[in-house]
Amino acid sequence: MEVSHSVKERTIAENSLVILLQGLHGHVTTVDLRDESTATGRVTNVDAFMNMRLAEVTFTDRQGAVSRLDELFVTGRNVRYVHIPDEVDIRATIERQLQAIHRVRYFGGRDKGRKEFPRAKHK
Amino acid sequence: GGAMSFLKRFPPPAEGVRHQQPDTEAVLAGRTLGAGTLYIAESRLSWLENSGVGFSLDYPTISLHAVSRDLNAYPWEHLYVMVNAKFEEEETKEAPMAEGEEEEDSDDDVEPIAEFRFVPSDKSALEAMFSAMCECQALHPDPDDEDSDNDYEGEEYDVEAHELEQGDIPTFYTYEEGLSHLTPEGQATLERLEGMLAQSVSSQYNMAGVRTEDSVREFEDGMEVDIAPVVAGQFEDAEVDH
Repeated sequence: MEVSHSVKERTIAENSLVILLQGLHGHVTTVDLRDESTATGRVTNVDAFMNMRLAEVTFTDRQGAVSRLDELFVTGRNVRYVHIPDEVDIRATIERQLQAIHRVRYFGGRDKGRKEFPRAKHK
Repeated sequence: GGAMSFLKRFPPPAEGVRHQQPDTEAVLAGRTLGAGTLYIAESRLSWLENSGVGFSLDYPTISLHAVSRDLNAYPWEHLYVMVNAKFEEEETKEAPMAEGEEEEDSDDDVEPIAEFRFVPSDKSALEAMFSAMCECQALHPDPDDEDSDNDYEGEEYDVEAHELEQGDIPTFYTYEEGLSHLTPEGQATLERLEGMLAQSVSSQYNMAGVRTEDSVREFEDGMEVDIAPVVAGQFEDAEVDH
């Protein structure tokens, strides 16, 4: 379960459907791009701006020519559709991602785990 | 052949250079621009031929980049960069063209696209080049992104302050989170409001054709009860004695 290290990015993800895309790590997914090319590959990262990183990609350009790319990074702006794979339970994925974010935020209570802001003094 | 007119002379970037790859050929739309050095800097992507002329690409104009090792598609392993702009050999400016698609079908909405390939002589550097570009791209989120409300600058959720019951209420709570943060007074208020809601809902169910003493009395009193039926037309067959 990958959760961003950035407070701002966690907040953005928590409040948008990017959180669903972040739950697709490891899944082979097809992404339709704005210029009508498509990329099918394994999701290795999605950030809060919907920039997506895929591995072992089959890329079909807008003229239909097919090639393989070892790794692909596409900017969020250029993502048109993400085809959620059939095996993914959308609701469960969102809930798991939210739980992961909350674990990061609240884990261990006061004195353990990640702090969103550094403490001035210890209690 | 003639020089590409968009090539200019400029000094290599000095700051924020995440990765520098010498001995790298640049290719635009299948035509080589020569051998030079690729600079992957935080502000922009630059390539300078060994003679000192080159070009820069701004990250917001880059749609995607990729590592290509598919020798059937292109005979050398390279970093592929797709740019949302037109670079023409004969044109005098780098800016995207307003019109005039020469190779592609002229749909009105076709975006200008330029395909660059950066072919390093050291193939093992491709991973590092790719990663450096990912990092730099992430530094330039889309300024035109109107769809999402990502302005959280002034609203950072201060976990610690909130645990001490200070600070602003965060913009998002799960139900359990919210409950656990209520003061005893708040919880009492919540229970009261929920009770009121439950009452009005149950009287709504009474109105939905189940005759009880209460619902009949309400009609006889002539009270105006402004509650819409749960299902329209549900009561058409109901026999109610007024």
